[in-house]
Amino acid sequence: MASITLDRITVDFPIYNAQGRSLKSELFRRTVGGHIESGLDSHVSVMALRNVSLTLKDGDRLGLVGRNGAGKSTLLRVLSGVYEPPVGRAEINGTVSSLTDIMMGMDPEATGYENILLRSVFMGLSVNQAHASIAEIEEFTGLGNFLKLPMRTYSSGMMVRLAFAISTSITPEILIMDELIAAGDAAFFNKAEARMNGLIGRTRILVIASHSDDMIRRLCNKAALLDEGRLCMVGPVDQVLSAYRRLA
Amino acid sequence: MTQVQSVKTANRARGPESPLELPKPPSMAQNLERAYADFSVSLASWRMWLLLGMNDIRQRYRRSRLGQFWITMAMATTIVSLGILYAYLFKMPVGQYLPYLGTSFVVWSLISSIVLDSCTVFISAEGFMRQVPLPKSVFVHRMLVRNVVIFFHNMIILPILFVIFRVPVGWSLLEAFAGIAMILLNGVWIGLFLGTACARFRDLPQIVASLVQVAFYLTPVMWRAIQLPPRIAHLTSFNPFQAFLEIVRSPLLGSSAPAMDWIVVGVVTVSGFALTTFVFARFRARIVYWL
Repeated sequence: MASITLDRITVDFPIYNAQGRSLKSELFRRTVGGHIESGLDSHVSVMALRNVSLTLKDGDRLGLVGRNGAGKSTLLRVLSGVYEPPVGRAEINGTVSSLTDIMMGMDPEATGYENILLRSVFMGLSVNQAHASIAEIEEFTGLGNFLKLPMRTYSSGMMVRLAFAISTSITPEILIMDELIAAGDAAFFNKAEARMNGLIGRTRILVIASHSDDMIRRLCNKAALLDEGRLCMVGPVDQVLSAYRRLA
Repeated sequence: MTQVQSVKTANRARGPESPLELPKPPSMAQNLERAYADFSVSLASWRMWLLLGMNDIRQRYRRSRLGQFWITMAMATTIVSLGILYAYLFKMPVGQYLPYLGTSFVVWSLISSIVLDSCTVFISAEGFMRQVPLPKSVFVHRMLVRNVVIFFHNMIILPILFVIFRVPVGWSLLEAFAGIAMILLNGVWIGLFLGTACARFRDLPQIVASLVQVAFYLTPVMWRAIQLPPRIAHLTSFNPFQAFLEIVRSPLLGSSAPAMDWIVVGVVTVSGFALTTFVFARFRARIVYWL
């Protein structure tokens, strides 16, 4: 049983490194919509999420939509447990895997094999389990002897293949994605898509932020609309998407 | 869209659309509990920080032929050249001064690099911390692993010096290991404390770096406390850097460290952990927002 409960969470980012006043006026000029309130003191903070409540359980496939800066990525980070909300309660039960940056923690100077071990241990495997997963990843990437070479000798496509194969090698209970990840040339693309679909099928809860209506219709059974950090609507995919169209 | 406003007005602005009662921020007891969970989970995931720490070393020397033994070479060069120069400056026999300076330098470099590296434990782990919810303490242990590895590479020099200059080695060696353990134990709170503070105040790493530089000159690393006039010499026993240095250096050179040094180390350890428990519990969840 995996579940996610967000209870009236608010997330704000303090901005310490900028001159309060000048940053504020800067943001005034290039605002993308949404209202801006100027404060009395110079301590500026960006409100990314305001009073968001959300419950997800086994079988939920949630598509997250909203304009740029609506708070989608912040919400994904709260859901993956990276951001602990300063106000409100976030309860996340289940193993989480966040595929927002598949290259995370990879060392270009290390060989392909070393990177597999390094990343696998980061995803919570023991060294023995990591060794066991090597064969499968090796086979899937089709990189052959290149895995014995330092990763810096790879083409960027080869690096992505490896990163993709490692990131998708274990099935989490909760899978979090910022747009669907796809990798490689024409031949690899189909293989990667099949693997991704398999992973999505096995996971208990999926949350994906995307600007592609098609993808959300294909993968999700419910959707949520974020605007100005508020969760405006959670419900059937078609309703939420048409509400989003009206907004955009 | 993103909302920009001052913190003071935040509550007022939030007012109208929120339900009657806003959820309370976590209490200190909850914070302490979570900080404790962070720490105990981090100890259980030892594979992660062991691998990260070792990889830091491997990464640095990956393409060089001598590899990590450059650490040893660099330290040996410093010790021998400074040892001979200062033996003449201080008018001491090289055979007596060189083992002293060698031991001092090896131990000092452990202490100072722990303090300096503590500043960046979280800043340098930004890539990880913004992607995966790992216990924060993992990155402190990683820093300690890295420094222990470097320390043992530097240690290789000491038996060589001791053999050449006939420094007797006895049971006090055990005390030296206890001293090393104390330095590492303190590294835990220093890493958590400085790591958190430096993530928030980005001027702090620079300040710490210059303070460590000053501490190097004020601590009897190259000189000895007995070279000072007696009425100022006793002041050095209040220098915590001196105490941590002495509890390893003295026993390595064959005599037990003064009780006063162990007392200072004990006081620093207890108060350091007390301070850090408070600071880390209070700000742990906030660190990732500062990165």
